[in-house]
Amino acid sequence: MVSVMANEKLLEIKNLKQHFKVGKSVVKAVDGLTFDIYKGETFGLVGESGCGKSTTGRTIIRLYDATDGEVIFDGENVHGKKNAKELKKFNRKMQMIFQDPYASLNPRMTVADIIAEGIDIHGLAKNKEERMARVHELLETVGLNKEHANRYPHEFSGGQRQRIGIARALAVDPEFIIADEPISALDVSIQAQVVNLMKKLQREKGLTYLFIAHDLSMVKYISDRIGVMYQGEIVELADSDELYADPLHPYTQSLLSAIPLPDPEYERSRTRKLYDSEDYAPKSGEKRVLREVKKGHWVACTEEEYEQFMATV
Amino acid sequence: MEKILEVKDLHVSFDTFGGEVKAVRGVNLHLEKGETLAIVGESGSGKSVTSKAIMGLIPNPPGRIKEGEILFGGKDLAKMSEKELQSIRGSEISMIFQDPMTSLNPTMTVGKQIMEGLIKHQRLSKTEAKSRAIELLKLVGIPNPDTRVSQYPHQFSGGMRQRVVIAIALACNPRILIADEPTTALDVTIQAQILELLRDLQEKMGTSIIFITHDLGVVANIADRVAVMYAGKIVETGTVDEIFYNPQHPYTWGLLGSMPSLDTSEEELIAIPGSPPDLTDPPKGDAFAPRNPYAMKIDTELEPPLFKISDTHYAATWLLHEKAPKVEPPEAIKKRMKGMASSKPTMVTKDGERNG
Repeated sequence: MVSVMANEKLLEIKNLKQHFKVGKSVVKAVDGLTFDIYKGETFGLVGESGCGKSTTGRTIIRLYDATDGEVIFDGENVHGKKNAKELKKFNRKMQMIFQDPYASLNPRMTVADIIAEGIDIHGLAKNKEERMARVHELLETVGLNKEHANRYPHEFSGGQRQRIGIARALAVDPEFIIADEPISALDVSIQAQVVNLMKKLQREKGLTYLFIAHDLSMVKYISDRIGVMYQGEIVELADSDELYADPLHPYTQSLLSAIPLPDPEYERSRTRKLYDSEDYAPKSGEKRVLREVKKGHWVACTEEEYEQFMATV
Repeated sequence: MEKILEVKDLHVSFDTFGGEVKAVRGVNLHLEKGETLAIVGESGSGKSVTSKAIMGLIPNPPGRIKEGEILFGGKDLAKMSEKELQSIRGSEISMIFQDPMTSLNPTMTVGKQIMEGLIKHQRLSKTEAKSRAIELLKLVGIPNPDTRVSQYPHQFSGGMRQRVVIAIALACNPRILIADEPTTALDVTIQAQILELLRDLQEKMGTSIIFITHDLGVVANIADRVAVMYAGKIVETGTVDEIFYNPQHPYTWGLLGSMPSLDTSEEELIAIPGSPPDLTDPPKGDAFAPRNPYAMKIDTELEPPLFKISDTHYAATWLLHEKAPKVEPPEAIKKRMKGMASSKPTMVTKDGERNG
């Protein structure tokens, strides 16, 4: 895995909140997230459906306007930007790969036009030849070939479409890519192809990823650090090996103990740990906050639990 | 062990504008009483079509069972009339579908949907059926079944809906339950609950389960035996230990290698290059050959027969032939094959007889 030596922050998320009004009530999809993503790393965000992980990704890239909080990218606040010119500059640096390779490509555009849309918008190609040369180069980068440029999305399989989605994201030379469940719609063997491709691109281009997923074994494989989300909050954050070796929050423990592994012997002895958020709620009514209990290992806990963690660790 | 179901040389095709799609091309399998058989493979490998053929749910046209027998209780399901099938479907053999959001009728209460089968197959009265429905909801672990029975599907969460679907499938005490990716749409913790529930129910009721999935973790968890499908054929079949600890077919290697286990780290995942073949025109020889790094010349010319590795373990690859060069499976696979001693494989003909 890429070791992040420099520890240079690319993205700082501070107390991010995203609330949606549903009728009269308010859904707090994301409720006070604070974390950093370092240059060149892959940050994995995991959790079950409805925990707010996709909303987090979409809010970071400003598909939604945040209810509260800050997203600071390369020293600038994303949500503070107002004028179109600045926004455009920012859009070039941050791109997204979507979950559903069937719904995220316009069926009426050719692959070349889909990939080159960003190139056109940002004026990155001087003329038609240069534009096509760039498209061909991108197709080759993601393991497709030139002949695919003039075809339409329906002519491709799921894995190939996801490659097109990746090529589109790469077209504007971004620094940061948010991948929202990029492989969950794909077959196992194809998942490995796409993950290997993403890793290769990261090595070659020094990309930073926010990798959102619910498949914990794949997340562990690709991520340097992982944040576990539950009900709109991060409950635990650590290096991926550390998180799997020593999960401290009971929700993380229950999540990890629920994953079936391709090993029948292990499966026969696996016991599942249950988690009940109501049982676990602190009796005193104190709110749990994310605290660092080991170097780089953060867990949501009360003051008292923190003392206990520090005593045992 | 008693064979409850036997599929012999099943061929299923779909007639499309692009030509005949040979979705299933000669599948042989059997199911024993009380066991769980997992069928694994990628989309388009024919695993769902096989199970739909067993249920008699292949839409005709465009689909048709071209050849083969599906023997259940001494009768051939492939040759039954729709009416005869209806008496079996839902009572003797029932099915759980992948997506609990779409397999329930949104305009009917869940109770009514469970009662349907009971009234039709077991000729219960409405009141009897309703109390049985409540029992079933309780059995699958839905709290407050008395009130839940008269609620609509939208009032249930995904995991709860899948429990309702399971309750419907189990209503008439079927002898065979076919579960087509029943947990793919669910979160891991909910998936774990559903798998536990299925295993629990199997123990109580002695149901035989055909479990279709592409998740090898789930297979390791629930299966007794495994059949690996590729391009409409079963390429390897064996007990769960044989498939996971002594896999012989390069496609099985690829599948196992493409999943990261929680303790693998640095090395690249073994991706299977390319994509599955077009089944309107299946390749000559071994359909997996174009994606197989171990492919030999014979693979492009002649289809490999099944080779017998043990009484329960068979694989269709020329690599097992005595004249084939010895190949080393990928590192990650070798790690799996730690303890299993490999006996010398022998070639078998289609009828299962030995052939030198």
